[in-house]
Amino acid sequence: MTPDDDAANAAPAGATSVYFDGTSNRRRAVAPKLSDALEIREDGEVVARWAYADIRRADSPSGLLRLSCMTAPALARLEIRDETLAAKLVTLCRQLDDNLPNRKGVAAIVGWSLAAAVSIVLVVLFGVPLAADRLTPLVPDSFERRLGDVAEAQVKVVFDGKPCDNAAGQAAFEKLVGALRQSAGLDNSLQSGVLETSVANAFALPGGKVYLFDGLLAKAESPDEVAGILAHELGHLRHRDSMRELIHNGGTSFLIGLLFGDITGSGALIFASRSLVTSSYSRDAETNADSFAIETMHRLGRPAKPMGELMFRVTGKEAGKGLSIVSSHPLTEDRLARMSKADAGATLNGPPLLSAAEWQALKGICGKG
Amino acid sequence: MNEMSWPPQLPQPPVPPPMPVAFSGKRKEFFHLVARGAGLELITLGFYRFWLTTDIRRHLWSNTQIGGDAPEYTGRGKELLIGFLVAIAILVPIYLGYFLIGIEAEHLKAFASLPLVAFFYMFGQFAIYRARRYRLTRTVWRGVRFWMSGSGWIYSLKASLWGLLVVVTLGLALPWREAALERYKMRHSYYGDLQGSFEGRGWEFFKRGWWLWLLTPLALYSTIFIPFVYAGFKAIEWRWWLSGIRFGEVRLESTMRRSALIGLYWKVIGWAVLLGTVFAAYVALCTVLVASIDGSSIEDFFKTDAFAKSIPLLVLLGIGYLAFALAMNVVMRIYLMRDFWVRVLSTTIVHNLEAAASVSARGELANALGEGFADGLDVGGF
Repeated sequence: MTPDDDAANAAPAGATSVYFDGTSNRRRAVAPKLSDALEIREDGEVVARWAYADIRRADSPSGLLRLSCMTAPALARLEIRDETLAAKLVTLCRQLDDNLPNRKGVAAIVGWSLAAAVSIVLVVLFGVPLAADRLTPLVPDSFERRLGDVAEAQVKVVFDGKPCDNAAGQAAFEKLVGALRQSAGLDNSLQSGVLETSVANAFALPGGKVYLFDGLLAKAESPDEVAGILAHELGHLRHRDSMRELIHNGGTSFLIGLLFGDITGSGALIFASRSLVTSSYSRDAETNADSFAIETMHRLGRPAKPMGELMFRVTGKEAGKGLSIVSSHPLTEDRLARMSKADAGATLNGPPLLSAAEWQALKGICGKG
Repeated sequence: MNEMSWPPQLPQPPVPPPMPVAFSGKRKEFFHLVARGAGLELITLGFYRFWLTTDIRRHLWSNTQIGGDAPEYTGRGKELLIGFLVAIAILVPIYLGYFLIGIEAEHLKAFASLPLVAFFYMFGQFAIYRARRYRLTRTVWRGVRFWMSGSGWIYSLKASLWGLLVVVTLGLALPWREAALERYKMRHSYYGDLQGSFEGRGWEFFKRGWWLWLLTPLALYSTIFIPFVYAGFKAIEWRWWLSGIRFGEVRLESTMRRSALIGLYWKVIGWAVLLGTVFAAYVALCTVLVASIDGSSIEDFFKTDAFAKSIPLLVLLGIGYLAFALAMNVVMRIYLMRDFWVRVLSTTIVHNLEAAASVSARGELANALGEGFADGLDVGGF
């Protein structure tokens, strides 16, 4: 059906327009008259008088002018199909389109949206790190430990790692961790272990858990290398970085999700922009943990440089492979350079952390016997 | 926006309308509406969606003609925005509480946090009910609005319990769930003082659609069947749903064929493939371009993970992805909203419309909180 067909329906003989009074849905055939106001007449009697300034346009199909009035019942409508009458009314009613969205309205929406976006970005860049710093000390230890337990169970499943418990190796590992713990000034609630997995990594979990993967141990050539890595992870624990990262990541993903709403379907863009923000944040945390590791090692009279060498052995040279703004750690060669520089200015004459025999036992912690 | 309804065309000599429900909107007009809307969504980082949704509804409502009169959608984008903001203010503490309780529950026993997912499902159902109430109270026909009573929480409880039964019966109980929920929704829907009701029976729905249930394993086995099965299901569902709707003595009937919607879904798939190919070509081009500027060979570029760290590439891909997502949005809105709407309307007949000739206005406006929840929780429904 074309819009023209129902013109017939709307205009019974004798009247040019249809009026709905807003209290009932009865179609009333009326004759509008334009005097000093719009007079709506039914059978010669005036049923409504609408001042031109109060008349507003309502949505309608093309070929039909539908009017409402600010002072009449909210849903009262006058429908006009007569083109000349409609054209006259449009010129008489100056505020006809005031209620409808227009260019100015759209510009306002765009402006406010951009303002909101800028404010969200500022909060993500400055507010969230600040909140994470301030909130982290307020989180009770017991809660953090619970988080750690949940995370630990997940990590063990993901990496399919069984804890290694070769007795001699375990003793050597505990000796190493104990020395570091005392130097770092951490209490003895610390839990640590070696997991049997070929991935070359180590990590700290909230609530005082440090895990070393066998894969990293296999690549290590001296106790100092492993000690440096462990000291780095203790640094994360000391600074409660996991907790801070959790608050930071949670806040960031929530805010960025709010920003993009449903426009992207789901998440690729959110993921990309979030990883940009959070990785810059995590680079700061890594640098701080490195400082902590250097101090801890120096307090024991041992060098920090071997840790850098071990990392370099694992990652290889990193510079020149595109911009590193999205990587979560600083460049390995930069870290290595920093450590050798720190070592140069320190007196390092402490005793070895492990004897040769203990070192061999530690290397074989995941072996049989 | 205003030029849509203006200028009017010359009235034609009287002829009785051949069909009580028709659609007079032009496809080109709708395309302009959604294309412009998609652009504005991009500029406003998605915030324009409230106004675009409103404009789409205004277009669809005001171009639909029932008994020669077009309904009117009186909702506004600002209402949706406020509803969304209030919903966010309520959802944030709930999400936080969900997180904390989830940690405690997982601590006690793995997967103990699963009941919390059920809570969010219930919340989503509540949102669907309240969103429907908002839309209905913004729908005006012949100067009288539709409205709704009933409780969103009771509805959500019903929907969840029926949902459980559907899961237990592997989907066989779905027709009865829909019938029960529609009865609740329609019993609490009104047009002025005319109360709605729903006469569709679960059994009829089941009789029409049981063979689709048998075809579902086939669709799961080979994805090529999914559009056929889904489109068939949708057509049956809509026909059954529309044919069950009553307002007082007014009765709707749908004559939609089972195959009526299949073409629409295939067109969307065709566009998705086309746009996906263009996007893939764009990605390949950007990669080659960035790699050549970087000075490394393509092989090295991938071997060293450098491609994941290159900022220019990420930015180019981000822009391409946004363009792809927006184009897909336009395609979906044209085929799955506008064309879908037109196909449904063109097969819908209203019987005994005279019974709604003298209805008194009644009912209060509802707020858009439900729409906000539905937006925040990513649920939709009628």
